[in-house]
Amino acid sequence: MIAAVVFIAVYALVISEKINRAILALLGAGLMILCGVLTQEAAIRGVDFNTIGLLLGMMVIVAITGKSGVFQYVAIWSAKKVNAQPVGVMIMLSLVTAVFSALLDNVTTVLLIVPVTLLITEELKVKPYPYLLAEILCSNIGGTATLIGDPPNIMIGSAVGIPFNDFVIHLTPVVLVILLATVAVFYFVWGKELVTTEEARRRVMSFEAREAIKDWRLLRQSLSVLAAVIAGFVLAHSMHLEPATIAMFGAALLLLLDNYHRPADEQTHNVHNAFSEAEWVTLIFFLGLFILVHGLESAGVIRWMAQQLLSATGGDFAVTAIAILWGSAILSAFIDNIPFVATMIPLIKSMAPTFGGEQALMPLWWALSLGACLGGNGTLIGASANLVVAGISERAGQPIRFLQFLKSSFLLMLMSIAISHVYIYFRYL
Amino acid sequence: MNVSTIMNASPVTISVTETFGNALRLMEERRVHALPVVDAAGVYKGTFDFADIWKTLLPKAALLGMDSLTDLSFVSDAQEILREKLAGAGSRPVSEFLDRRVEPVHPDTPVKEAILLFYRLDEDIPVVERGTNRLAGIVTPWEILNALRD
Repeated sequence: MIAAVVFIAVYALVISEKINRAILALLGAGLMILCGVLTQEAAIRGVDFNTIGLLLGMMVIVAITGKSGVFQYVAIWSAKKVNAQPVGVMIMLSLVTAVFSALLDNVTTVLLIVPVTLLITEELKVKPYPYLLAEILCSNIGGTATLIGDPPNIMIGSAVGIPFNDFVIHLTPVVLVILLATVAVFYFVWGKELVTTEEARRRVMSFEAREAIKDWRLLRQSLSVLAAVIAGFVLAHSMHLEPATIAMFGAALLLLLDNYHRPADEQTHNVHNAFSEAEWVTLIFFLGLFILVHGLESAGVIRWMAQQLLSATGGDFAVTAIAILWGSAILSAFIDNIPFVATMIPLIKSMAPTFGGEQALMPLWWALSLGACLGGNGTLIGASANLVVAGISERAGQPIRFLQFLKSSFLLMLMSIAISHVYIYFRYL
Repeated sequence: MNVSTIMNASPVTISVTETFGNALRLMEERRVHALPVVDAAGVYKGTFDFADIWKTLLPKAALLGMDSLTDLSFVSDAQEILREKLAGAGSRPVSEFLDRRVEPVHPDTPVKEAILLFYRLDEDIPVVERGTNRLAGIVTPWEILNALRD
C-alpha cells in the first residue's frame, strides 16, 4: 500500500514536470527504504547496474568522440554528397541522424547534428523547421533499431538478457521500413517547398568538411574504440559478457588513449570534463527509479497490475501483444517512456507462467520496445531528444510550437506503430 | 577609493531610440569601443559594443551558448554576404542589440571590484546610481591605470 502510494505520487509529479525527475526518483527511493518497504540491501539489489553502466560508458565515449569534430564532418560531407540540394540535404541529415542514434544516444546525436543543420539551412536560406522535425523523428526511429540506441531498449535488453544481435535481427528490419516510409513522407510533403538559389548552394558546396575535424589523433582513437565496442556488443553474448562491461571498458580504454601522454594536472582536468559531460540527471533518475519499481514489485503491486492487464485482454497472447504496442505508444507520447518501461518490465515478466515460459514472451518485448521508443515521436514532450532540439531551435530564434509539432509528428508516429503492428502480427502472432 | 572618484562622469552615450548604423558611426568618430545606451531620463538600458556587431555577422548556429558550433573553420568566406548583413543591420534600433554581459556597478563600488571585473570580462563597466539606475559614468581600463600612475 505504502509502496503504491509513493510510486503513484512520484509518477504524478514526474508527469507534472514541476520538480526535476532525478530529485523525485531519489526521494521516492529513499521513502521506500524509510517506510520499510525495502531494506537498503534489497534496494541496491533492485538497481540494474548493467543499464547504468552501459549508459555511463557510452556517454563518456560519445563525449570524447564528439570533441574530434567527426559529427560535423559527416553532416557536411552528407550535405555535399547531394550537391546541397535542400530536399537531398534534409533526407541525408535525417538518415545520418538515424544511423548515429542507432549507435549512440539520441540526445547526443541531435546536440551534434542540429547546430550544423541550422548553419546549412541559414546558408541555403530555407526554413529549418522541416529539417529539425525530420531529425527529431529519425533520431527516435534510429534509436529503436538497436540494444544501445534508446534507454527502453537498454533496460529491456538488460533485464531480460536479450543480446545485441537479437535486437538487430528482430527490430532493425522493421525500423528500416519505418525510417524509409517517414523519409518518403517528408520528401512528398515538404520537398516542393524547399527551394534555394544557385549561389547559396555553391556556398554550402564550398564548405571544407575536412576542416571540421579538430583533432585527427583523437578521431582515429575514438572511432577505433567505438568500432571495437560495437564489435564487442555483437560478440558479447557468445563470450558470456554483459553490455555494461564492454561499454565501461571501452570508456576506460578511450580515456587512457586520450590521456596517458598528458601531464598529471591536465589529465585530471580532461577526465573531469569527460565524466561531467555524462548526463548525471538521467543516471540518477534511473537509479532511483529501479529502487521504486523494485519496491512496488516486492509489495506485490506489479503482479496485481499484470493480472488486471491479462484479464482485460482475456489472457489472449495476440491481443496482449497488440495492446502493449499501442498502449505503450500512446502513453510514451505524453509521459516519459523510461519510468513506463521500468514498470512494464517486471509486469511482462510476471506473465511468463500464463503464456508458457519466458521464451514465449519475446514478441511482447518487441512490442514494448517499438511502442515505447517510437511513441516518443508523438509529441514535443515525448522524448528527451525532442525537447533538446526544441530548446536549441528556440535559442536560434526558431521556436517549435507544441501544436504545430503535434500535427505532423502524431500522425507519423501512428504510421510507425501501424507498420510495427503489421510486422508483429505477421512475424510473431 | 571607489569608482566614483575615478570614473569618466560624462561618457559618450547613445539614446535607446537610435539605430545600429548611428551607433557604429559614433563609436568610430569618438574612438570608443562601447556605448552605454540610455533612455530619455538617462536610465542605463544596456551597452552597445563590438560584440553586438560581430553577432549580426555570425550564423545563428554559432550563437547558441553551450550548444554552439565551436568553430567555423570549414565555412567558406563570402565577403559580399557579410557586407550585406552589416549594411542590413544599419537601420535596426540599438534596443534590439542590448546585452547585459557586464552588470553595472554603483558609484560606491570599490575599485578592486572593478579590477576583478576587468580581469574576468575585459569590458567597459557602466556605473549607475543606486535606486534610479541613471547612468552616472563609465569606467574603462585607462581610468584605473591613470588614477594609479600620476
